[in-house]
Amino acid sequence: MGDPSSDQPGDPSHQPAEPQTLRLGKHTFEPRQRVIMAIVNRTPDSFYDRGATWHEAAAMDRVHAVIAEGADIVDIGGVAAAPGATVDIAEEIRRTVPFVAAVRDAYPDLVISADTWRHEVAREVCAAGADLINDTWGGWDRRLAEVAAEHGAGLVCAHAGNQTPRTRPFRVAYDDVLADVLRRTLAQASRAVEIGVDPARILIDPAHDFGKNTWHSLEVTRRLDEMVITGWPVLVSLSNKDFIGETLAAPPEGRLTGTLAATAICAWQGARVFRVHQVHQTREVLTMVSAIRGEVPPARAVRALG
Amino acid sequence: MIIAAALCPWPPLLVRELTGADPVAADLREACGAAVRALLAAHPDVITVVGPATASAVWPAEGRLNIAAFGGRAAPPTGPAVPPSVGLGCYLLDQAGYAGPRRLLTVSQDEPPAACRQLGEEIAAAAARTGLLVMADGSARRGPRAPGHFDARAAAFDAEVERAVRAADLQALAAIDPALARELMATGRPAWQVLAGATRPAALRADVLYSGDPFGVMYLVAFFGRQLADMG
Repeated sequence: MGDPSSDQPGDPSHQPAEPQTLRLGKHTFEPRQRVIMAIVNRTPDSFYDRGATWHEAAAMDRVHAVIAEGADIVDIGGVAAAPGATVDIAEEIRRTVPFVAAVRDAYPDLVISADTWRHEVAREVCAAGADLINDTWGGWDRRLAEVAAEHGAGLVCAHAGNQTPRTRPFRVAYDDVLADVLRRTLAQASRAVEIGVDPARILIDPAHDFGKNTWHSLEVTRRLDEMVITGWPVLVSLSNKDFIGETLAAPPEGRLTGTLAATAICAWQGARVFRVHQVHQTREVLTMVSAIRGEVPPARAVRALG
Repeated sequence: MIIAAALCPWPPLLVRELTGADPVAADLREACGAAVRALLAAHPDVITVVGPATASAVWPAEGRLNIAAFGGRAAPPTGPAVPPSVGLGCYLLDQAGYAGPRRLLTVSQDEPPAACRQLGEEIAAAAARTGLLVMADGSARRGPRAPGHFDARAAAFDAEVERAVRAADLQALAAIDPALARELMATGRPAWQVLAGATRPAALRADVLYSGDPFGVMYLVAFFGRQLADMG
């Protein structure tokens, strides 16, 4: 285990000068493409779906559904972020590895992401077919990047402050939250490149709510362009989170509108990958943003053109 | 010597603007204000603020809380930023209109009980009429939604602290096991032990103004004095 607080500023020479093609599995995503990562939890206790896809058949049904709705990536996780019943390495592997293998069998070309902070789990899921390791806890296990390099997998380099996995932030304070986000995520990305992870397969993620209060998450959203200009592809995971719930005084089931508003703001500033529960609604928002920016044409335009 | 002491927790939400539109925990904020006003009413020559932090240190008397570190768009502090436990103490003093001399001290989470007691004795000996403002919280592991989730030992631990405070049996605080306090995320432990070292047994009586855990952290607000001062 590492101490993420020891991260040194990233070597700028590893940073892409401008947005590059993102490579995940067999797919390439150009800078102006907006990519949807659908959440598929193999947990009985995640905050939003509360075990809806705990059973394998239900989880596979969700994979079918999110692909039909336009997801580009499925993100499979076996441990809820919140504190709760202990899930050891063997149990996390049991929850995720056979399922990743089943999804790979069903969809040979699909980009499969594994949501884990443990290198032992990452090694097994990569062997079973995962293309991307989504390390939401910010490099807590320093060997995770080595596994990504060994398997040619991608890596999400996230900011979790200095939080231990599955702990809640307690009176967290930052002189400048975005500066801390940049320092930690760029250090992880740099280190990943040095270890041998393909730079085209690395993303950075401010990790809303992780090691942050609501004010911090709102500020990170407002200043997301400061991450985008580093050149690394930015992933955001906003979906139905507590900072939206606190902003709108809304329970988890009442946060979709707020999620979509934050999604539009992040997309406008240049975020490229969106980790979500609601794929269809997110796709519509992202298509609108792309059209407003003049990056895609309307689906059909005849108004006043006839 | 210590002529009066106030005990307050230091959740950042004591700063009203940090809770947004909802005046969350207004009763806690009012209790802390009352405890500090009672401290001022004892007319100390100096107020010493003590709170836990990562290191034991003396801070500039003009130090203040950096509210912006907790987000929002707060103005920068008027003095050098100090650790938040002591910073919240300064905030309470400013809110109460205190403009007299102050000393700001942090005490490390690693400081053993004997060192905390000695620091308390030094604070008591430093001036003839010292008011002590102790910033300290109980366990942050009091339920499934608590910052540190749930630990079944937290309730009994906090109950003993509250008993000791209500009885002004501050020497009982000196006996708290630092290892247990750390496991329970009871960050107030070293500050309670400074309080125990600074006051003589049975010299003060206690009034508890607030006891509760609305966010899974044990908050205890108390005033120690020869008599309860004007709370207005």
